[in-house]
Amino acid sequence: SCSIMLLEVFLVLGTVIIYFLLSKKKEETLPFKEGWWGKGQKPDTEEDTTVWPFKVETTEEELSDLFRRLDHARFTEPLENSCFHYGTNSMYLRKVISYWKNQFNWKKQVEVLNKYPQFKTKIQGIDIHFVHVKPPRLPEGQSAKPLLMVHGWPGSFYEFYKIIPLLTDPASHGLSDEHIFEVICPSIPGYGFSEAPHKKDFNSVSAASIFYELMLRLGFNEFYAQGGDWGWLICTNLAQIAPNHMKGLHLNLASVTNMGFTHLLSILLGRYLPGLFGFQDEDVRRMFPFLKKGLYRILLESGYAHIQATKPDTVGCGLNDSPVGLAAYILEKFSTWTDLEFHNLEDGGLERKFNLDDLLTNIMIYWVSGCIVSSMRFYKENLQKGIGTQKHERLTVQVPTGIASFPNEVMHTPQAWAQKKYTNIVSFHFMPRGGHFAALEEPELLAEDILQFVGKVEKEQLWRKK
Amino acid sequence: QIILCLPRSFEYSQKNAVLVSAATLGVGGMLVYWLRSRHKIKTIEMGDGWWGLGERLVKGKEDESIHPFKIETSDKEIEDLHRRLEQARYAPPLEGAAFHYGFNSSYLQKVVAYWRNQFDWRKQVEVLNKYPHFQTNIEGITIHFIHVKPSYVPHGRAVQPLLMVHGWPGSFYEFYKIIPFLTEPARHGLNEGDVVFEVICPSIPGYGFSEAPHQKGFDTIATARIFHKLMNRLGFKEYYLQGGDWGSRITTNMAQMLPQSVKGLHLNFVFISRQGLRRMISVMLGAYVPWLVGLTREDVRRTYPFIQKNIYELLRESGYLHIQATKPDTAGCGLNDSPVGLAAYILEKFSTWTDKSFLHKEDGGLESKYSLDELLTNVMIYWVTSSIVSSMRFYKENFSKYPGLTADARVGVYVPTGIAAFPQELVHTPHAWAKEIFKNIINYSYMPHGGHFAAFEEPKLLAQDIMHFVRKVEQL
Repeated sequence: SCSIMLLEVFLVLGTVIIYFLLSKKKEETLPFKEGWWGKGQKPDTEEDTTVWPFKVETTEEELSDLFRRLDHARFTEPLENSCFHYGTNSMYLRKVISYWKNQFNWKKQVEVLNKYPQFKTKIQGIDIHFVHVKPPRLPEGQSAKPLLMVHGWPGSFYEFYKIIPLLTDPASHGLSDEHIFEVICPSIPGYGFSEAPHKKDFNSVSAASIFYELMLRLGFNEFYAQGGDWGWLICTNLAQIAPNHMKGLHLNLASVTNMGFTHLLSILLGRYLPGLFGFQDEDVRRMFPFLKKGLYRILLESGYAHIQATKPDTVGCGLNDSPVGLAAYILEKFSTWTDLEFHNLEDGGLERKFNLDDLLTNIMIYWVSGCIVSSMRFYKENLQKGIGTQKHERLTVQVPTGIASFPNEVMHTPQAWAQKKYTNIVSFHFMPRGGHFAALEEPELLAEDILQFVGKVEKEQLWRKK
Repeated sequence: QIILCLPRSFEYSQKNAVLVSAATLGVGGMLVYWLRSRHKIKTIEMGDGWWGLGERLVKGKEDESIHPFKIETSDKEIEDLHRRLEQARYAPPLEGAAFHYGFNSSYLQKVVAYWRNQFDWRKQVEVLNKYPHFQTNIEGITIHFIHVKPSYVPHGRAVQPLLMVHGWPGSFYEFYKIIPFLTEPARHGLNEGDVVFEVICPSIPGYGFSEAPHQKGFDTIATARIFHKLMNRLGFKEYYLQGGDWGSRITTNMAQMLPQSVKGLHLNFVFISRQGLRRMISVMLGAYVPWLVGLTREDVRRTYPFIQKNIYELLRESGYLHIQATKPDTAGCGLNDSPVGLAAYILEKFSTWTDKSFLHKEDGGLESKYSLDELLTNVMIYWVTSSIVSSMRFYKENFSKYPGLTADARVGVYVPTGIAAFPQELVHTPHAWAKEIFKNIINYSYMPHGGHFAAFEEPKLLAQDIMHFVRKVEQL
């Protein structure tokens, strides 16, 4: 399987060399993707465009069913001294389950979830759920800037609950109030409280098109977008679909899927001639030795993506039926993607950066909505034709972009690579600490980076107007 | 004058004698070395292992007793299962998805309804117990196996011992239909004349009723060693081996480890690396001039289009392998807690690996080749023994970082080998490629139909090929 992956990498590279030689990157926009994702045939009637308020609810039955499953959970003893090397350690998992049964209070967490106003609206045939938080107060003469924040897998809109106050009310949190935001966090269709598509082929461009319609429906003509994980790709597609509506794009993950000959060359020689390839010292530190930090790391950590991109209904089936299995599967990512060294710890280092209440609330969102299978299908819809083969991967982004590069992200993308796709990078910062789930783990750092990015964009705009 | 000549001639002949004898020794030594090196077969070191809990007890001999074993069940076990089946939560499939996204949950609900209402586990346990089961302790863990002897042996006929090893997600139960063909061929319409077997089917440690290893590092080589010890303990000095899936690699390792004990090796699946420059050239040339690189027309039909069949399809079907080789405890956790999830995961393989076209069917074509009773019995073996996680760990232990450098990759297989190539196998290995590792292939058959689970799906075809192969070996 290692050799197969290697062969795939080389195949993709080989195919793209040809593209590289034969075509130049165009500055086209990505077309808006029409779709109908509801059940059965699309009705002839006009689409209902109302937006209605939504509250998360729970029932006694839901809770007792959960507790019954937790009580009857069947565990397998881990191998001696295996820590998190074989995946989630079941001894630690037992502790988490015990906390889940005895201390975690879902009713209280539902109240926490409901503290921000939530809504639903029907777009392209399915109900889209979103959180919409307006600033509590606005200084004289200032208007709130709309900011769309998109989550990923295995996250949810809940990941943003700690960073939202820093963006809607920065002054109360020790940050400059030069820019204040109203934040919109939708759930990707098939995740959480957004309805899952009933038809095949719902990919990131479909999600971007739906979120574009959402922002227009809410009356925003211009907005900022922020994302990591799938949010990175959806917001990137949105910037490609509607560049005139997006003032700025901020990313905490900036993968480059369209690799070419120069990338291969920079991998082979970048350690010795960093300047030639535009690598900074920190880039070299994070990327090399490439075999260890690039290739092997990807192979070791991408099993989930491989199976989800090929057999999502199979792998998700058991997880939708066993809350313990679901927790093990999701928690493993919150451990390894926060710090790869955590797999040497008996408890996966989970409680060093997160608290169990937050982790379990995110898992409960997947459990009570029964969305694990549909969330995994997103991988197949986006990856099944292979990485680097889709149209939008060849298009560039001209929208002003800001990138916050966190050190413990699974794979590092240097600015030299990112700027081939994001042609208008206004800020690129190496963050001092933090991993994949930046908004949940390091909300202050991320908020500060967003604020300084927006500051730069706004200044540039003013200067242009003059 | 003679006295004067004598010392000289003596000295001359002495020197001569020394030179000649030195030369003879030298040439002779080289000749012996050359002769020996031609016949010197490299083997895998046997080594030793300990897989029990904690430290190995140095004092005292290992308990080598073999005790009979019977599979049992209880009301509690069945009620717990039924409750979980009743409370299963399903996610509706996408419209028109068939089996393209994995196991179709609409069909899964039908399977589970059967499982809950018609499948009779107590009856199946009796079916499982119809062959004699045993357990014995080797290297610190309990090894389970069935041992079936022919009920009637004609006078003077030799009974060949045959060790058959299963794979994932199978079990010893896969062999239940083929065993009668091998132990009583005449009674089942096979007339292979002089070949009759006593069959031993162990469970790989971590699978079914064999205890799971408690230590890291339990790979196919350790399994091979344990199975050699088992056969030795049963009193066999020479025996035949048969395997597919993991069983293929384990039996191959056994042949590489103790070739003198292996009379013949029969495989219905061949693990062969597809790497290497020579292989790539062979693949590229093979598309246009197959005869030049030793490929037959049937090879070409089964191997090409190469990218489609060997890369694209393999990538599509190897997600499970990737996640099990990296995070087995995560992948298996939910499956050990949800029988419905376990069934979906396992039965998906019985669909796709039996016939790739089954992907297009709403019901995955499962019941066209197997009965739900036998499919669910195999799933139940994983369920009642809680062995899904340990079965997955075997993938991680076997896929090291450097696949070309493992001990068995550099050692050839010299025992008489027979290969049954089934058309719907995951990947086809032509004779020309298998020859690189298997130096002594005395039989290579293109089977007319059948897939990965050959013993389960086409027991008679496989039995015929095994017997045909063994007859050839016995005549050598």
